[in-house]
Amino acid sequence: MQLNRRAFVSLPVLSFIVPAAQAAFTDVAEAAVAPVTIDFKSRLPAAGTLPKRWICGSESAMDNTDPPTQVHWYNEHTVVLRQNKCYSYEAPFMMLYFGNERVLMVDQGFNQLRTDWPLRDTVDACISEWAKKHGRKAEDLELLLAFSHLHADHYAAQNEFVDRPNTRIMGLTHEEMVGFWGMTHYPEQRVTLDLGGREIWIWGSPGHVMSEFAYYDTYTQILYTGDMFYRGRCYISFWQPWFDSMTRLMKFLDEYPVTHVVGCHVEMGSRGEDYPYGVTWQPDEAPWQLTVAELRHAYEVAKTITQPGIYFTGGVYLCNQTRGTTTIDKNPYAYES
Amino acid sequence: MNQTQTPVYNPALSGNPSSSNRAYPNGNPADPLNPVGAKNTDSVVPLHRTGEVTHDYRCDGPAPGTIGFRWIFGSIVAAKNTDPRVQVMQYNEDTYLMRENICVHWEGPFTYLLFGNKGALLIDTGATSNAEWYPLRKTVDGIIARWAKARGKTNVPLTVVMTSGEDAAQNQGLSQFVGRTHTRLAPKSLAEVKAFYKLESAWPAGTGKIDLGDRVIEVIPTPGSHRDGVSFYDPYCDILFTGDLIYPGKIQIGNDKDFVRSIERLKAWRESHPVKWILGGHVEMQFLPGKAYPRFYAYKPYERLLEMKPELIDDVLASAKLVVGKQMVLVRPDFQLLNGVSPDQKTLEFPAGVANINGPRAF
Repeated sequence: MQLNRRAFVSLPVLSFIVPAAQAAFTDVAEAAVAPVTIDFKSRLPAAGTLPKRWICGSESAMDNTDPPTQVHWYNEHTVVLRQNKCYSYEAPFMMLYFGNERVLMVDQGFNQLRTDWPLRDTVDACISEWAKKHGRKAEDLELLLAFSHLHADHYAAQNEFVDRPNTRIMGLTHEEMVGFWGMTHYPEQRVTLDLGGREIWIWGSPGHVMSEFAYYDTYTQILYTGDMFYRGRCYISFWQPWFDSMTRLMKFLDEYPVTHVVGCHVEMGSRGEDYPYGVTWQPDEAPWQLTVAELRHAYEVAKTITQPGIYFTGGVYLCNQTRGTTTIDKNPYAYES
Repeated sequence: MNQTQTPVYNPALSGNPSSSNRAYPNGNPADPLNPVGAKNTDSVVPLHRTGEVTHDYRCDGPAPGTIGFRWIFGSIVAAKNTDPRVQVMQYNEDTYLMRENICVHWEGPFTYLLFGNKGALLIDTGATSNAEWYPLRKTVDGIIARWAKARGKTNVPLTVVMTSGEDAAQNQGLSQFVGRTHTRLAPKSLAEVKAFYKLESAWPAGTGKIDLGDRVIEVIPTPGSHRDGVSFYDPYCDILFTGDLIYPGKIQIGNDKDFVRSIERLKAWRESHPVKWILGGHVEMQFLPGKAYPRFYAYKPYERLLEMKPELIDDVLASAKLVVGKQMVLVRPDFQLLNGVSPDQKTLEFPAGVANINGPRAF
């Protein structure tokens, strides 16, 4: 079946499920395990682990010997990826969600060239590993490349995937973004992506930029809030849309369980200290994940904010309409005569 | 406007030193093959030396030197950088400019090595103490050994000084020289620095001297960016080494009144002494007027050149007077002044009459 993006959006997700007959032709030698349909709907939330400490750059960037991308399997169907700080100071986090039919990758990091930063190879290796373990053929799994929001540090490596078969790539305009998920009422509308038994819920969360999504995985119950809310400096470009997005998150928390709130970066130390914009070494990082309580508390703090400025909630910095890279750093050499 | 003009190659505009109007990329056959004065090269080392060479550092005007090029500017992926960790540039046979690779430390500090008949002077020591990452000592030792061999000298005492002892971007390499023989290290604390230059009673109005043997480097106290800031004047090359006080970048003023007084002192110095170049400790500006790179960048493909013309002091002084007592960023084509604000502070104010161009952002 020939599918363009429009056809993909207009068709019900069910029609993409690989017919059972096709699955029967799977080469037995390649498939070490018989393909079993994985149940993503019971015993929720699916347990998972997060590293105590992420790889976080090095004092001399050119002497860094860490892998270009840190790969962490949260559980056997969920991968967290992080770009090495010495490959890009943004060191964005990325997610891979596996379902019975397809794989969703949220965010693609901050480097365009496969020769500089082989994200494609890392992702392909993850998909092959998963496919082998669960009796699939990697090439049968459709890969959806989406991103949290329209900033280059979250989609730059899309380039590396343009020649990858069986891959759909979100376009780089607001229209293409909402079209990719078939939304007609952004940002309130919540749509469901079926990865094959595993549902991802997606809705709009503008504020950092106007084009941003929140992703909720019903299997792990992880809420991925992109750059709109993360452990670091939440640069709020537009206050009212951001506050409305927070209100939307509060309503969501009231209705549904959330295990972790995660975002795209970590820019804070474990004692709340601010790692300024652009550093390639964060020796004592705070954990990537935030608790529901921290998100709720940030909302309470946000309610009291009336002026532009930088506000520390204990869990994150809310940078209300401050300019992009402004930090709270001071000139350490200032003195009185 | 006529859009169909054919561009004319202008060697002068393209940085081609050929002064004629035509381009001679392969040499001009009309030029004399044995030009007058060709036997008198710039080398201070005689072709056939017998014994130790003593160089006459007196000269009319600044000693010749080369500095016209861009510095190594890091790489998109810092972890994959393969450039030299210390880039060495020979300005002339007695003057060396060095820069720390910006993928080792984003500050990319410049350090300077000057030679006289009786010793060498290292101005500033970089931002990294680890000699594996930043082999400053090894590089300096290598240059000194080569220089000493060429001059037939067996002992070249080294003095290591800093434009600011408190500046973590310039005092870290000092530890690499601890224990080196025939080496005098400047102290880090202000009180000891004053004593080191014999300026206890004359700080900051007086000047100190460092005699390298017929090349006497003048020490000018210039607090302002740093409480203990000093500048160095080399009367041989006519270069002012100003560290963090004046450099093509985001100049963070530590104390605005001191800053103005120090710039005034340098302006007076410039009026009474020939100055060919001002060389600062870093480059943060882009080659687009008024535009600076943010802190921590390890890839700066569009860096401004290091050297500044002495007339820039006037601009710095006028600008400094504007920011006294105010918390603000002032943008000028060749530098920015940051007074009492975060080092990352930006401003939307842009100087009138200056082309406001944004460079491409590479990732």
